[in-house]
Amino acid sequence: MFCPKHIFCRVNSQNLKNLFTFNAARKLTTTGILKAEDKTDVAGELETTSDPHLYVPDRPPLPIITSRQLEYPSEHLPSKQAWLDTMATLEDEKLGIVDLHPKIFGTYPRLDILHNNVDWQRKYRFIDYSFARSRAEMPGGGKKPHPQKKTGRARQGSIRSPIYFRGGKALGPRGPKSYFYMLPKVKRVHGLCCALSAKYAQNKLIIVDSLEIPKADQQFLEDLIDVRFWGFSVLFVDDSDIMPRNFSLAVNQIPHFNAMPVYGLNVYSMLKHETLVLTLAAVEKIESKLLQILYSAQKEDVKFEYNE
Amino acid sequence: MAQAGKFADKALQLLRSYPRVALNNLKDMPGAYKKNFNKRRSAGKNKTHGRGHKGMGQRMTLPPLGYEGGQIPFHIRIPCEPYYKDHEFRRQYPPFSLLQVQRLIDMGLVDINEPIDLLTFCNTAHYDCSIEDNHYGVNLTEEGADTFQAQINIEVQHASEQVIAAIERNGGVITTRYYDPECVKAMSNVLKFLKTSTPIPKCKLPPQDAFEYYSNAKNRGYLADPEDIVQARIELAQKYGYELPQISDESKKELLLRKKDPRQIFYGLEPGWVISMKDQCILKPLAEEHKEYYAS
Repeated sequence: MFCPKHIFCRVNSQNLKNLFTFNAARKLTTTGILKAEDKTDVAGELETTSDPHLYVPDRPPLPIITSRQLEYPSEHLPSKQAWLDTMATLEDEKLGIVDLHPKIFGTYPRLDILHNNVDWQRKYRFIDYSFARSRAEMPGGGKKPHPQKKTGRARQGSIRSPIYFRGGKALGPRGPKSYFYMLPKVKRVHGLCCALSAKYAQNKLIIVDSLEIPKADQQFLEDLIDVRFWGFSVLFVDDSDIMPRNFSLAVNQIPHFNAMPVYGLNVYSMLKHETLVLTLAAVEKIESKLLQILYSAQKEDVKFEYNE
Repeated sequence: MAQAGKFADKALQLLRSYPRVALNNLKDMPGAYKKNFNKRRSAGKNKTHGRGHKGMGQRMTLPPLGYEGGQIPFHIRIPCEPYYKDHEFRRQYPPFSLLQVQRLIDMGLVDINEPIDLLTFCNTAHYDCSIEDNHYGVNLTEEGADTFQAQINIEVQHASEQVIAAIERNGGVITTRYYDPECVKAMSNVLKFLKTSTPIPKCKLPPQDAFEYYSNAKNRGYLADPEDIVQARIELAQKYGYELPQISDESKKELLLRKKDPRQIFYGLEPGWVISMKDQCILKPLAEEHKEYYAS
């Protein structure tokens, strides 16, 4: 059930973890296994008002949060800051300000690294099925078309010769051919950092408290994105693959708005969508995972190989 | 790797006024891909493509490199000096300095209350040792010898006199020890070795040309006579002008006296034992011939 007064408590940098425990508890209640009667009565989810556009959440005075404790703060670099938005209301309401790690959200935007990542994502799953038959694989062509001499014509041995019309192909494509290769882990991580930094720098990175919306209404989500100028395509990222029910039902009907868990986050999708919306829990998870890889001395042990 | 800071902020500031970074406006670094071309056909512009008219130059039939027109060429005239003869078989000891050891200790990656050996260095992932490159272990170098302050029991494969003095000045113990490639392989990636569930190898004795080094008390070799080592410690202290500190702490004394058997490669585990990671148990050899083989 959507009941914001239980969610929002006065949060500062010290008791930030309380916010996440609240979020987790709430998620369990709303996104557990759906019962039969829940499925039939979608509108019954809403307790407060029938029109989500007029929904007024009950919460303490703003700002709720003014800073965020970074797990491994940089000694020399100031942390990046971003607004914390909410999707509970139609209009844009800033819940506060959160800190972001400068090594993740303030990386030098290496467009070549992004290109490498996108190129890899396009190629590694691509299989080229194009195939052309050689002169040996085509039917016929065994008989000499005409005698070697005395016809006044060029000497020919087979009607399937590559120079013939309807002849075999010389050095043609011999599919199926795999284009699989693995980009080094360093480059993959660097690419994610660059993409997040570019999104942040271009004001296309939105951080929200959660993906809860008051009603499972497609129109409400579209209006919300229109009002806030988030653009034509939006990628929502949450920390796990179990997302709020209202949001899931609404976003499911719109092809250009997509939702994704943190483990699916990738450079291609981030650059394909105009705006990237991260929940606070997702930010926490992304930062911890990327920092862990950035600062570990452990080498990549797994090697990917493809043998034709 | 990922760089953040003054220049990154400047670049990101510029990016604010640029079109959105998207799939359509990415490109690789210029010159990322090298393009091969046919020298006869596509290189250069004019009618001869920079190769002149006729002859060997145009037809790419110039004599091979080093040909001196019939005279005995340089590489045959001058006698061979094989500095690098058999380099592919020589033992390599990748260096690791005392400064780096001190840094690992300060960062908490190395525990000085445990004996330090090749396994410790490899487990920190700050030291690379691979048998593919003929690596036989660590060469501890002098850099940072003056500032080295830890009291440790360390085992390395090669150490200079200055390094030995730096360790012993702080009341530590150093041993030089030979490991054969099979043991180095097991120690360089111990998790990978344990997953194979093969018996812990019996360390071989050093080869003939290394035997003198490892049986010399001056090098603190593991095959040297312990009484000679005591004498060598005193001599080195006199040479470098320091006093060997007296150790009163019993636990510290116990740590400094810990030593591996010449056939043993892991502390607490004997050669011939099989560690089963799946069943979390140790299997010891029972057959007499196995016991005899793995005995020191």
